[in-house]
Formats: sequence, structure tokens, C-alpha cells
Amino acid sequence: MVNENLVKDVVKEPYKYGFVTDIETEKIAKGLNEDIIRLISQKKEEPKYLLDFRLKAFKKWQNMDEPDWAGLGYKQIDYQDIIYYSAPKQKEKISSLDEVDPKLLETFDKLGIPLTEQKKLTNVAVDAVFDSVSIATTFREELAEHGVIFCSISEAVKNHSDLIEKYLGTVVPASDNYFAALNSAVFSDGSFVYIPKGVTCPMDLSSYFRINSGDSGQFERTLIIAEESSSVSYLEGCTAPMFDTNTLHAAVVELIALDDASIKYSTVQNWYAGDEEGVGGIFNFVTKRGKCLGKRSKISWSQVETGSSITWKYPSCLLLGEESIGEFYSVALTNNLQQADTGTKMIHIGPKTKSTIVSKGISAGNSINSYRGLVKMGTKAAGSRNYSQCDSMLIGDQASANTFPYIKSQQPNSEIEHEASTCRISEDQLFYLQSRGIEFEEAVSMMVSGFCRDVFNQLPMEFAAEADKLLALKLEGSVG
Amino acid sequence: MEIIEKIKTNKLFDNQTEIQKICLQKLQSSPLPNPKSELWRLSNKSKFSNFLNYSVNEKNPKFDIPYPESSQNNIRLIIGENCQIKLIKENYSIQQLSEDELNKYIKEQIACFDQNENWSDLLNLSLSSKQNFLALKINGSKIPPIEIFSHASSNSLNVKTLVILLEKNCDIELLQVNLGKENSSLSQSTFFLLEENSSVNHGVVSYGENRSNLLNSLNVIQQQNSEYNLGSLHFKFNYARFEISIKQSAGNAKTNIKGMQVTKKDEQISTYTKIDFNGPNGFLDQINKSLADDKSHAIFEGSIIVPKIAQKTDASQLSRNLLLSNHAQIDTKPQLEIIADDVKCKHGATISQLNEEELFYMRTRGITLPEASKLQLSSYFQEIISFIPVSKDRWDLLDKLLNEN
Repeated sequence: MVNENLVKDVVKEPYKYGFVTDIETEKIAKGLNEDIIRLISQKKEEPKYLLDFRLKAFKKWQNMDEPDWAGLGYKQIDYQDIIYYSAPKQKEKISSLDEVDPKLLETFDKLGIPLTEQKKLTNVAVDAVFDSVSIATTFREELAEHGVIFCSISEAVKNHSDLIEKYLGTVVPASDNYFAALNSAVFSDGSFVYIPKGVTCPMDLSSYFRINSGDSGQFERTLIIAEESSSVSYLEGCTAPMFDTNTLHAAVVELIALDDASIKYSTVQNWYAGDEEGVGGIFNFVTKRGKCLGKRSKISWSQVETGSSITWKYPSCLLLGEESIGEFYSVALTNNLQQADTGTKMIHIGPKTKSTIVSKGISAGNSINSYRGLVKMGTKAAGSRNYSQCDSMLIGDQASANTFPYIKSQQPNSEIEHEASTCRISEDQLFYLQSRGIEFEEAVSMMVSGFCRDVFNQLPMEFAAEADKLLALKLEGSVG
Repeated sequence: MEIIEKIKTNKLFDNQTEIQKICLQKLQSSPLPNPKSELWRLSNKSKFSNFLNYSVNEKNPKFDIPYPESSQNNIRLIIGENCQIKLIKENYSIQQLSEDELNKYIKEQIACFDQNENWSDLLNLSLSSKQNFLALKINGSKIPPIEIFSHASSNSLNVKTLVILLEKNCDIELLQVNLGKENSSLSQSTFFLLEENSSVNHGVVSYGENRSNLLNSLNVIQQQNSEYNLGSLHFKFNYARFEISIKQSAGNAKTNIKGMQVTKKDEQISTYTKIDFNGPNGFLDQINKSLADDKSHAIFEGSIIVPKIAQKTDASQLSRNLLLSNHAQIDTKPQLEIIADDVKCKHGATISQLNEEELFYMRTRGITLPEASKLQLSSYFQEIISFIPVSKDRWDLLDKLLNEN
């Protein structure tokens, strides 16, 4: 019998990103109405079509009900008690990083994000979003040489308005769901990536999202467009300080892949998860969707979800193009009173499309970890295939693991396979490792890491190492 | 929807029994199932309203059974015709429950009902009259196989209820046959209690005719060390819904389920199962097969619930589906909800068509394509059919499935 206390000690690591940066910010009044939306739009000097887009979304949102089908049971959110725009006060225009508030740079340094261009060794271009506004984007010139556009979405609205007008809201329409509508109405910033025809992006692109104030929600929007035969790998990281209130994060991510293009989108989500009693933490209600428009296009989602008090997120692929490919690799770890309801939707529309789903859920403490997914074969998806695998690991007898896969087929000439299993850390394996002189904690973390191996293999290298470490830290003190 | 109007205005029957009163009261607050509910989401609305469009048949006209004659070794009961039974033999006894016993048992059941999940049962118990209520208490050993028929006559809604209490150490084989005539609706609710150390091989065969509808609900409670084996087959109904709820009340019980639904033309047949492990060491092995052809729609939703108390549960659920036409549709959703950590739970689901390599192999051996397909289908069906406790020479289900329509 495994010593329960010992195992519990393995999961408790304090949240090291919980500091608050004391920085002057410009906030608008709390509340949500048409005037607020006009104010946000005005502050960002947006063209009329965007203001119309926001107002239309807001009207739709007003007529929608907050969804409750996931049975997450959180306290009702007061949408009038949120600040919808908060930006660090700074000079009008930043031409180089030297002009960024040093306190801000310090924050990103603490987070371990290479914002300074000197750190070229890492070869990752970063767009950092602090509360509502994008702070800085690095490596811009080098990327521009290849024709790659990587900037904040506000800049893109100013400089590449045609692309924004053409693609914004085409994958996740404003009326898609309650939180997407809210985001469409109030989104403040986010990242924009455009990879031109035939270009393989010379480096990984990365954005870091940081919520700093306790009463402002974060509503960023990411739009990635990969033209014909192009490819890009995009990484996303999220952290927030510790507050005893719940902060709402409702982002929208849209990916578009044209013929032969490929997009790889990786996330390490480590928002503040609340304390052991479940006080505070981020509500992470995110809509992520990719559209494989072109033939042989490919969109691959990989995610490591360890933070947030509630995660509600289903990165999906619409497989329209012939022979297009969708992938979803996920590790979700919940501890204490966290709830994660995550999964994917693979909608096969075009012929000979393929999708793979690998989901690993680890639940410890009193947490709830659910996989919820949809695989749908449309009438025209002849010759399509799907393979799904969802494994859950339970640590302790208070945690729960649920699996809700929906499978729907209207095409006889297609194949769908789904399998799921639930287990706990095997005592035999633990005993074996311990008998070989490996410390208990290390053995547990090795086994968890092995359990997640299929997914970690899909992450970009530096992320994989980080994810492995993150899981080990998160699990400290909870194995029982 | 004549029935719903009558429920709303409470003008159904003059002499309502106590149970009918309780259920009608519950139904009056929401006479139709919540369409937003997960369980009713995929139900075809027009087909469902067809079900409710007939008036209740209380007369039970004589029904000519299209199935083989009863053999001497069997006990055959027809709900609505011969519900009076008292068999006390050397080794066993089968007798009716007294009215008090029945009321007590049903009331206990109703107390645990969830309006949405048990809507079919509430409707059934509201409409079921005394002569359509078969309630049996069985004990003893060496009990001959029992066949129980429920049938629906044309142009009416027929309501039948079956209650079986299986006493300790008892062991039976039971085949339940639901038959629907053209343009008919049948509401069948079954309540099963398996006491300690008892075991049942239960077969449910539901076989309709043109434009017949069925709401079939099966509620099973298993006490410790009981074994419940269910083989079920639903086919040829325009709209059929089979809801199975099994509760292992104190764990340590065994459940095996093998079910199949075959849909053709524009039929919709669905199976919903909910298995609740309420104690440790429970075992479940479930397989559900669907075959959808033409413009039909087959649905399977299975949920397995393993609370903290149900340690050492071993549960597996498999949904296998064959989709044979471009216009047919299959939905499947196997679900696991697990809190206990020391458990083995797995589920799987596949949707495909007939295996092309196997077909090719058979054709290279001189077997024609239709014959090869038939062979494949028969092996697909056989796994389920052989699990239904009926003697093969009298009930050729395989022949019915392969050669009719």
C-alpha cells in the first residue's frame, strides 16, 4: 500500500507565477454596454467594420444564455463587474524594447520569457500580451524578410486590415457560443500571424499571455493564416498572479490552413488555479478552432493544461479540404478543486480526411477531469479515418475522471475507432522503481511522465521539457 | 398528441389506482420529456409525436402470435391476457404479487425516479391498467424457461408493465417478446429485482411491423452475488427506444449485456444504458451492436457510473457499429464517470462498414458478393443472438434478420 501522505506531499508546489507587477495601468470603468464597446474600439482606433463586428456580437451575446451543460457548477459570473480594457501605461509608440517599462520587462524575465532580442539563442519570436494589450513582439525584422507577419492583432488591424476583414470571424463566428460572442464584442488584443505562400516560418512563434490585475478579464484573439504550402509552429503560454477572486479568460483562436499548409499550435496553460480550498483562480473558457480549408492541409493542436480553476476548452478542426489532417494531443492535469472539461471536435467534411486524438487526463485531490469530444463524419467524407485514445489516471480516491466521447457518422465508407481506459498508478511499478533505489516522488513523476509520453513527443522540444517539469511540480504532494 | 392533453387535464381514467395518481401528478408538471435533455436530444420529434398520437387501448383484443407454438417445457404468459398465475411445484413457485406488495415496491421505485430519465416509466405507470400489469414473485430451482409476451394492436397505444421479484438463490431463463402491429405504439416497462445469489438469463426481442413504435424501459436492481445476463435485439420498429438502467445496489454483482439494434428504411432505434455501481467488486461486460441501412438512424448511449464506494470495479463497454448506406446515420456515445481510483474501466467504439478484405477473400474462394456479405452479417449478428436465451430451432432470429425486409 502506498503511503498516502507521502504521495500527497508530491503534488503540492506553490504557484510560482503568482506575483503581481506593480505597474501603472490604464483601465476603463467596470461594466459592459455598447458605450464600453465603442470606447474600446475608439481607444484602438479601429475601422468601422470592426466596430460593427463588435456591436453585432454584443447584440447576439445579450440574447444568449450562459451554457450549463458541462455541469461545472461555478458561481455565476457578474459580467458587469469586470473591467474589459486594461493596459500598462506607456508611451504612444514603442520602437524598441528599451522603451518598454523596465518593470514589465522584469515581469517577463521572472516568467522566463526571452523578450529581449539579445537572447537570440532560443530562436523563438515572442509576442507578449499583458492584461489587454500586446507589449512587444520580437524578431519582427527577421520574420519580415521571409514575408511572415507576426504582430499584435491591433497592429494588424491598422496595417493589414484587408486580411483581418477577410478572415476574422470566419472560423469562429461571433454567434458561435456564449463566450466567443463575448470575446468578439470586447476583445482587446492578441496575436496575428500570416505566413505567405511557400514559406516555412524560420523560427517558432510564441506568445505569452499574462493577466496582471484581479478585476480585469482577458479577452484576447489570435488569428493565424497559413497560405498555400507554408508551415508554422506556434507556442502559447499563460500565467496569472494569485488573487482570491475568479478572473475570466475568454479567448478565441482561429487558424486557417490553405492547400498543403501546416499549422502546429502548442499551448502550455498554467493560469493560477486557485488555492487548496478552491478560492480564486482563472476561469479559462476558450474557443479554439482551426479550419483545414485547403487540400492536404494539416492542423495539429497540442496542449498541456495544468492551471486554471476551471478549464473549458475544445480545440477543434474543421476538415474541409481533401486529404486534410487534424490532430489533437492533450495532457490535462487537475489537482485540489480544479475542474477541467476539455477535449476536441474533429468534423470531417471533405473526402479522405484523417484525424488523430490522444488525450491523457490525470486527476488528483478533489478535482474533476473530463474528456469531452466529438468526431463527426459528414456525408461527403468518404475514405476518412479517425482514431481516438483517451486515458485517465486517478490519483487518490476523491478525484474523478470522466469520458464523454460523441461519435456520429453519416458516411459508410469511413472508419472511426475510439478507445478509453482508466487506471491508477500501479503499485507494482512503483515498488519496482523504489526497489531500484529511485525515490518515491521521482518514481511517481517518472510514471506520470511515461503516461503522458505520447503527447509530450508532439510538443516542441523546449516546451516538452517545460511540460514535464511542470507536471512533476504540480503533482508534488498529491499522489496517494 | 391526444395522450398529453389527457394527462394535462387529468381526464384519463375514472378509477385511477394509487400508483396512477402518483405518476400522473408527477407528469402533469412536465407532460413531455425535456427536449434539451441529453437523453432525448437525438429522438426524432415527429416519430416521437407519432408514438403519442394514439388513444390508449384498454380492451386487449386477442392477438395471434406470429411466433412458434408454446412448447410443453415452457411457461408462456401474455400480458393483458393471462396475468392470473399461481404455480406452486415441488421445486419452485411462481405467483403473483399481492396488491400491497406491488404498491410498496413500485412506490419505492417511483421515489428514486428522475423526471427526465424515467419519463417512459412515469408514462407507462400512469397509463397501465390492472389487467396489463404482470407482477411475479419467483423462487426455487429448476424453473422451466419463461416466455412473456407484450403486444400492441393497430391504431392504439398499448401499455404493459412487468414486475419480477426473484428471490434468493433462484435461477431463471426468461425471454421477453415485444410485438408491434402496424400503426401501433407499445409502452413496455419492466422492473426486475434480483435478490442475493440469484441469476437470470434475460432475453428481450422486440419486433415491429410497418410504422410501429416502442418505448421499452428496463430497470434492474441487483443485490450482492447476483448475476444478470441480458441479450437484446430490436428491429423493424419505425421508432423504438430501449432504456436500460441497472443498479448493483451493494456491489459484488455481475452484469453481462449484449444488445443489438438493426435499422432499415427510415427507422430510428436507440439504446440508452445506465449502469450504476453502488458497491465494490462490481463487474460489467457490455457490448452493443448497431447496423444502419437505407435512411435509418441508430443511436447508442451508454453511461457507466463508478462512485467512490465502488472500488475494484471492473467494467468494459464496447460499441460496434456497421453503417451500410450513404443516407443512414449512427450516433454513439459511450461514457465513463469515475471517482473510485482502484478500478479497471475501459470503453471502445468503432463505426465502419463490412470488412473489404474478408469480402475479397471469400470472393476469391468462389462465394458471390451477396452471399459473402450475408456470411459476414451472420457472424456479426450471431454473437448477440446466441446470447439470447431461446432455443434456436423454434426461434430462428438469424433467419428473420437476414432474410426479411
